[in-house]
Amino acid sequence: MNRLHPRIRLLWVARAVVFALVVGGVAAAATLFAPVSIPSYVPVAVGVVFLVVGVALALLRYRAWGYEVRDDSLYLQRGVLTKVNTVVPFVRVQHVDSTRGPLERLVGLASTVVYTAGSRGADVSIPGLTPEGAEDLQDRLKRLAIASEGDDAV
Amino acid sequence: MTRLSPLSVLYRAVQRSASIVFALAFFAFTGGTAFGGFLGGLGSVALVGVAVIAIAGYELAYFRRFEYELTPDTLDIRSGVFSRRNREIPYRRIQNVDISRNVAQRLVGIAAVNLETAGGGETEGSLRFVSYEEARRIQSEVARLKRGDTDGDAPEPEQELLFELTPRELAIVGALSFDLRLPGLVFVFGSTAFPIVASYVDVPVPAGSVAAAGVGVVALGLLVALVSWAAGFASAVVNYYGFRLTRVGDELQYERGLLQRYNGSIPIDKLQTLTVEDNPLKRRFGYATLLVETAGYAPSSDGSNGSGGGGRGSEAAIPLATRDRVLGLVADLEGVEEPTFERPPTRIRRRYAVRYSLVLGVATLALYGANRFLPQEIPWFVPLALVPVAVVAGALQWRHRGYALAEDHLVTRNGFWKREMRFVPYYRVQTVIERRTIFQRRWRVSTVTADTAGSISLVGGDATAVDIEVADAATLRETLNDRLREALSARREARQQSRQAALGIRAAEPDRDADESGEPAVADAEADVSETPEFVEEAEPAAAESVEDAADAEDAEVAEDTDEFDGEAEETADPFIWGGSVESGDDDATESDDETGDEPSGDGR
Repeated sequence: MNRLHPRIRLLWVARAVVFALVVGGVAAAATLFAPVSIPSYVPVAVGVVFLVVGVALALLRYRAWGYEVRDDSLYLQRGVLTKVNTVVPFVRVQHVDSTRGPLERLVGLASTVVYTAGSRGADVSIPGLTPEGAEDLQDRLKRLAIASEGDDAV
Repeated sequence: MTRLSPLSVLYRAVQRSASIVFALAFFAFTGGTAFGGFLGGLGSVALVGVAVIAIAGYELAYFRRFEYELTPDTLDIRSGVFSRRNREIPYRRIQNVDISRNVAQRLVGIAAVNLETAGGGETEGSLRFVSYEEARRIQSEVARLKRGDTDGDAPEPEQELLFELTPRELAIVGALSFDLRLPGLVFVFGSTAFPIVASYVDVPVPAGSVAAAGVGVVALGLLVALVSWAAGFASAVVNYYGFRLTRVGDELQYERGLLQRYNGSIPIDKLQTLTVEDNPLKRRFGYATLLVETAGYAPSSDGSNGSGGGGRGSEAAIPLATRDRVLGLVADLEGVEEPTFERPPTRIRRRYAVRYSLVLGVATLALYGANRFLPQEIPWFVPLALVPVAVVAGALQWRHRGYALAEDHLVTRNGFWKREMRFVPYYRVQTVIERRTIFQRRWRVSTVTADTAGSISLVGGDATAVDIEVADAATLRETLNDRLREALSARREARQQSRQAALGIRAAEPDRDADESGEPAVADAEADVSETPEFVEEAEPAAAESVEDAADAEDAEVAEDTDEFDGEAEETADPFIWGGSVESGDDDATESDDETGDEPSGDGR
């Protein structure tokens, strides 16, 4: 079972922090403009709670994430509250992307996205890879997908 | 190149101008009066006239620029007045060919043809309108050309009537249908209209009379039920009048409809899943409904194609028949019987009972809270009396839930009020998802979903084995994956054999076949892809494209043998992919790794 690159935690934690800040900000604004007087520590408390929960979830998510390239399928496991294990048979892979979002580029990471024709939960994305790793994984999945097809066609 | 029916110009123009003119006229006449009566009226008439002429002109141009052609391997459509579009749809990719005619169209003898391929939110090929005979011709031609029979000398495929809805069954369908849309509309209208009406009419409210209010609620409920039942009856009869399901060669054809006639074909090898649906009433009288799912139908194009009750994908469904007939048809189509189901572990009954009791508890609390704030006493403890019902409901839900691994199918069953039994062939499985919520973990169970390429799944839910033991879930997950692979290779082998038998020659290796662009091989590859969207689509053309790519493909083949080994080795030794194993990886070590070195190195094991 492979893990994600540890630096993905940076990204997720940053995201949680930003989210907590936004929520705290909204709470602060609400406090300012609320008709009844709300103690000033309330928005801070709200922000802190969101921060703690968000950061904890981000770290736990990292611990929970794992993927494995098996003989005939890609296997993912993830999820903190709801654990999700997904099996994507290579024969079902339609195409494979490797993507780098602006934030991901900032921390020097990339993701690989696997598409199947399934109706939902179909688009499988593996975040937190090094750019080379993402490309390599993409390439490997592509080859395995082709190979699995050729295997069957014989 | 063939044109649409000339009548379509007239029909489209009338259809389009009817709505536009109406809207225009409405605005013009209501708004126009503000500018002073007569002039405004005249202006509106002129405006409407211009609009009608413009629409007629556009429709004529649309007609003149719309052409379609049935070539040996594709259906070509050239269309567009302002922006032109040439579309070629390979026959093998076509999932459904649907013909629909409403009353007016039937009078003038034209029909709308919709061609669906997998994927995409829209109908891929839409001919508005052709003559009905032409529509039928297109339908049969597409079926014929799809079989690769280009000379047309093959005998007509035999027809076999699979199912016909008897008037008695139609009446039962109607009687069992509830259409909540109409009462919903009435409700929305009523809720907005009521305060207005009430402000005019001084309704004497009998003070503090809970009983009267209760009677009113019950009466209203009865009325809603009655109206929705009547609406359901009407819409079911209109939709399913004269329902027939026929097998024509390797296709299913259905026709139905009283006012608007529908007529469609579904290739049997494009079926994704079959669903047998019933409810307590139907079960009591031994009836069931069959739903058929293909990958073609767009999930939310309900209105555009005028599908009636049941949503998209249920076109070829059997609205109602005796359970035996439905299961017989399933056995006929898929070769699978109703299996004995493996139920969730018995302790799960308690889980459901607890869940329903929680709902009751919340309801009680809410009522209690309301009681505190309301001037008069309300019986807030009533929901508590329903706790025994919750226990029974939990047991019932457990009873009707289960999964079974049949020879070639995964069969799942869920639901008490709307019980759905889904048959998913292993070779249709796309991905397998196992999920365990935080609550399920407490009960040591998880849920396994077999995702298919269908599209009513978006609303209907995939085949799901809910709340099975964690260990069973893991096994099921892997079993599905294995059986998918086995089923696929078995199918491929069978097809290859039949193809070789048919051709009587060319036992050559398929790779060569494809590279030499041997017609049959390519066609077959297409068939593979079209049924079960697979990678071969990308693989084959790539291999044929250039020498370099061909070499690449060979590489891949060579690598195939070593790939397993390769994969294992790469996971640990690959310098690029972060390759720590979860079991062995200890967080602190990786963390310090992270801080010290930018370039992560696989930490071996």
